[in-house]
Amino acid sequence: MVVKPAPTWKALLTHPSYTRAMNWNIRYVPDKITTNEQSTVDVFASVVEPRITNTLIRKLNQVAPLENLHHVKRVQKILFEGKAQLSVILYCSLGQENQLDGIPDEVLELIKSYQLHPFFTKVAKYAASSKEEWEEQCKLWPTSYHPPTYNIDGINGFSEEDSQKVFHFMKVAIGLTKSGHLGNQVVNAAVIVDPATRERKMKGIQLALTTVKYGLIPMSLVYTLGVGLSNNHTLEIPQDRSLFPSSELSTCQSDHVDHLQSSTSSPAKRQKTELLREDETVSEASANGLPSEMMRPYLCTGFDIYVVWEPCTMCAMALVHQRIRRIFYAFPNPNAGALGSVHRLQGEKSLNHHYAVFRVLLPEEILDNVVSNCA
Amino acid sequence: MKLALEQAKLALHNLEVPVGCVIVEDGKVIASGSNRTTETRNATRHAEMEAIDRLLEQWQKSGFSQLEVAEKFSRCDLYVTCEPCIMCATALSILGIRAVYYGCANDKFGGCGSILSLHATTAEQFPSRKAFQEKGFKCTGGIMASEAISLLRSFYDQGNPNAPKPHRPVQISQ
Repeated sequence: MVVKPAPTWKALLTHPSYTRAMNWNIRYVPDKITTNEQSTVDVFASVVEPRITNTLIRKLNQVAPLENLHHVKRVQKILFEGKAQLSVILYCSLGQENQLDGIPDEVLELIKSYQLHPFFTKVAKYAASSKEEWEEQCKLWPTSYHPPTYNIDGINGFSEEDSQKVFHFMKVAIGLTKSGHLGNQVVNAAVIVDPATRERKMKGIQLALTTVKYGLIPMSLVYTLGVGLSNNHTLEIPQDRSLFPSSELSTCQSDHVDHLQSSTSSPAKRQKTELLREDETVSEASANGLPSEMMRPYLCTGFDIYVVWEPCTMCAMALVHQRIRRIFYAFPNPNAGALGSVHRLQGEKSLNHHYAVFRVLLPEEILDNVVSNCA
Repeated sequence: MKLALEQAKLALHNLEVPVGCVIVEDGKVIASGSNRTTETRNATRHAEMEAIDRLLEQWQKSGFSQLEVAEKFSRCDLYVTCEPCIMCATALSILGIRAVYYGCANDKFGGCGSILSLHATTAEQFPSRKAFQEKGFKCTGGIMASEAISLLRSFYDQGNPNAPKPHRPVQISQ
């Protein structure tokens, strides 16, 4: 049995799925797949007299409901020669070659009895996942748009200040891949940040500073397996104290860690507990050192994670369990990524927690630095 | 599976969500685990992770190489009272476990058919990567499911004191 080394940066960065950017940029990775070119479907519509519209719609909803197009409005109102003109979708021919063939008799009867003049038009196939997309869709035919019920900062864009913070923490995470690299293998790194603390202190503080080797949370198992694991999951090892800008925080943190190290015997367990303790420590620090149970967050509630590579299903699900608020990743993982590439956990409705996912696009020179540092 | 249920009862006794598991090699239980999310305040300490970590720790102490570990896992079966979640299912797939037998399905975040089907992963894409590349495994559910469910029910009936305050009042159904 031969263990193939982990993929190299160069191989991953030249993968067809990887797109390079000119500038730093943050892109929301929506819950549902959307494409740049809008997917549309053909529908059969007709201009109708306003007075018959209600009756007609009621009848149409019975004989030809818009299955799978619940986001599409049945009626379009446009101004035509200064007057409001109403058009109604008569029938949607999802995926049928010859649309005329598929029209149910009941619809044909309605066309006849109301003397309609049907025409084909296009409507958006999928519900819009962003306001911009919705505006585009409405140019074709009106649709409804339901923004995510949760309101997580950034879904509707980042201010310049917030963007700079995001870029900063992503740089920190990328920096960790350099300190943790093994040959030219791709390593992953992550930083967990409490945005509330950061704002209260008016400066950036990384909380659980985690470096890396392989996978984020079930890392003890990955850790134990050692290097050569071909997937890049992160491993939590708080190591570089100088990366903590707040000395108060680092002291507090090392106390905790030391205490734990003495109380646990297995390295695997220690890894885990450290992660956990860090979170607690952080929140304690945020409360000016008061170790208050009330201030302790429930798991990672409200925290953001900056991770260099898109996490796999194991790590992404671990982040669901830990109730992380936002995930920022720089590089998609076309082979195993669980946040858009292969799976899309943020869109799995049945899960009991949903985070918002963002991809941070990096300018060329940052990438070149990463590659040359790891080569 | 009875032994896995024993582990789940242990968890229930410790006010944990009652899920338990055992790992079996050549007909012998070589590791067991029960859910410890509450005790550790770490939501990823599922029963499967507990058992896997114990095993890995033990094997590491015995000085097994990575390949030997992979080889050993490919002869192990997991018996767990509830369908492994997406995280655990991926972990089991990375480790290359031979088979998983579970009690009740997990329609919220099951990774073995309920939400994702990670056990059905095929490694055709990377035939050269044999060790620790996600692999599929045989998966059979519904084994003593009613026992597993009644344990979970008795846990939730008493209320989970560690859950955050619900947004809506919890309805006590009879």
